[in-house]
Amino acid sequence: MSGVEENTPEVTRDDPMIAAEWALGLLEGEELLAARGKYATDPDFAWRKEWWDDWFAPLSDAMPGAEPGEHVWDGIAARLAAQQENAPAANAAPAANVVALEAKVRRWQWVAGMSSMAAAVALALFAFAPARSPVEAPSQIAAAAPMVATVPIGETGLRLDVTYIPESERMVVAAIGLTPDGVHDHELWLVPKDGSPLQSLGVVKPGEVRSMTLSAAITAKLGEGAGLALTREPLGGKPAGKDAGPVVAKGSFTRV
Amino acid sequence: MAARPRLQADEAREALRDAMARLAAGDQSALEEIYRATRVKLFGITLRILGDRKEAEDALQDVYINLWQRADRYDPSRASPIAWLAAFARNRAIDRLRTGKVRGGAVPVEEAAPLADENPLADALLVDAEQTAQIHKCLGALDARTQGHIRAAFFEGKTYAQLAESADVPLGTMKSWIRRGLQRLRACLEASEAA
Repeated sequence: MSGVEENTPEVTRDDPMIAAEWALGLLEGEELLAARGKYATDPDFAWRKEWWDDWFAPLSDAMPGAEPGEHVWDGIAARLAAQQENAPAANAAPAANVVALEAKVRRWQWVAGMSSMAAAVALALFAFAPARSPVEAPSQIAAAAPMVATVPIGETGLRLDVTYIPESERMVVAAIGLTPDGVHDHELWLVPKDGSPLQSLGVVKPGEVRSMTLSAAITAKLGEGAGLALTREPLGGKPAGKDAGPVVAKGSFTRV
Repeated sequence: MAARPRLQADEAREALRDAMARLAAGDQSALEEIYRATRVKLFGITLRILGDRKEAEDALQDVYINLWQRADRYDPSRASPIAWLAAFARNRAIDRLRTGKVRGGAVPVEEAAPLADENPLADALLVDAEQTAQIHKCLGALDARTQGHIRAAFFEGKTYAQLAESADVPLGTMKSWIRRGLQRLRACLEASEAA
């Protein structure tokens, strides 16, 4: 193995290099999260990531094709149909909506420092928010200002991004970058502002972005200033009849 | 079968580009057209990276749902549509691999069953031939060891730590090898763009 460039000085790890590492798929954990955030906010970085993606793409020609099962398309079609039913007007005037929403999402990123993933999911959610006519869309969007909460996890730099969209009664919990330890689960709790008992929002799925529809009992308590707490529990969440585990992280909702 | 006429490939590429534009404008029926044309190639990619049929099918489903939601992000002036979709699918598969959902690694090439060439659009002719030649040329100019590691990252979705382990070198060494390689690769590709 001679002639290898052993003696060249250490390479500077600048943004274009990080973009290359990301495009190749080498980043993980916190670095991956940071790169995603930068992609959403830094056009030069985003441009460079896509530059590398474009260049690497032809390499995938060496990957042999394969035929997926027929159920794959059925699943896609079913999901489209379900979303279509909820938003029959969405296709009528997508362009104006998308522009308004993109501007809105950019503002959220500014205000709340949401991860690009959470922003993308929130944007996607608007597309299936309940039916509205194209004409009244802008005012409805303004009225249904989403609420966001970030729940930082200790000193790890990792966090949960929680977005609640009142109009749709949907909540998105993004736990990208978190990995399961195999012995614990973490359960998310709503801490109502009025001091009433905590309500479970379910077990957090590490590494996933999960969307859920909330019950009326929960949305009634979910207003500005409502808190979130994350507790450490045995696998599967808090056992019935036992006290919740220790609180490992907290956050609260703000309207954006 | 391999020698499909160039003209047909150009037409297929245009058809796909057109379907992507219609999808971005909100025409849901365009998605089925795109799926028919690209599923074999994209499933080949998610299967190669994830190494598990069920996971790869889930990832494929995500790819098309996501595509429907974000078709407006495709810029026709940037890359051929199939190249863009290929990168999109690979990125989604890698995301899955990195978020702790999948434990398994990639399948070796010989285990991912190849498919007879009978699928419209899903072939190399759709990717820009010059661009393909250039990336191979620039990769080929790297020393064999670095080239091997960069390929393993691309084709098997390996992380720095996994590459260092299989090469039995310290993590820092692997990082410098690959970063030097990427730096040279970038210089080579940029030189070709300027030419």
